Amino acid sequence: MKDIVRQKIGINVDVMDLLNEQISKEAHSAAIYLAMASWCDHNGLTNSAEFFYKQSAEEREHMLRIFKFINDNGGTAYSPEVSNINHEYSSLQEIFETALDQEIEISKSIHNIVSRCRKVQDFGSENFLQWFVQEQMEEENQFRRILEMFDLMGTDGIALKFIDERIKHD
Amino acid sequence: MNLLYKSYYFTSYQCDRSRCFYIDFGHKQVKFSFCQLLAMRQKVQRIDISSHFDKDLNYNGIEVITLCNREHLFVFDTLQVIDLKELLRSTFGILELNSLVSH
Repeated sequence: MKDIVRQKIGINVDVMDLLNEQISKEAHSAAIYLAMASWCDHNGLTNSAEFFYKQSAEEREHMLRIFKFINDNGGTAYSPEVSNINHEYSSLQEIFETALDQEIEISKSIHNIVSRCRKVQDFGSENFLQWFVQEQMEEENQFRRILEMFDLMGTDGIALKFIDERIKHD
Repeated sequence: MNLLYKSYYFTSYQCDRSRCFYIDFGHKQVKFSFCQLLAMRQKVQRIDISSHFDKDLNYNGIEVITLCNREHLFVFDTLQVIDLKELLRSTFGILELNSLVSH
């Protein structure tokens, strides 16, 4: 019997499912960061708002990168539905802690797919995901550095303004 | 045509000559490209079978599914949906097994 599946698709079908789930997660992250940008804008934290607008765009770029990878290799990428986005936060520190947790979840999810790639010997997808492994380390570190500023400077009045002034997107 | 899997209601085949797949639904046989088969798999996987046992969520216990870019329309009852899920899971399992032994 011919291996028609291999002729049609260059990646493992189970890995494709996981990558489609990852598309949803990246889209969800993009939406969360947009909500955070909105909160920052409304609270006079313009640099933080700008940071999260850029962060949201970056997550969407990640999503599109995976989306195209699936389709380019003969699979079918599914446009994600996004729901349950929280718009209520009590402080800027809470926002950055939530963002770091979000990045850690994304990292775990990427690692899980890499692990699956190794199990089914889908080396093409594993190679593609290495960029994401590196990117996630950088993203997590970025949020850690920002949270350290809260530890150093506190969160009272003027400190918050100083922190906002120092927040820049890499 | 090569038989891939036969469940209680349905049967899947692979045709090497046309490089396509077929599913025999009993009253009708439908031809699928691999892409269309993937799309069907996605649709069937997403069906929440527990909703069939909740009269508020799915009162009649049926699913309406369009296949092959709306070329076909099917109405399945609960038992058929369970059977279809098994058919697709097993069909893709056999196809993966075939990939392993082919290379």
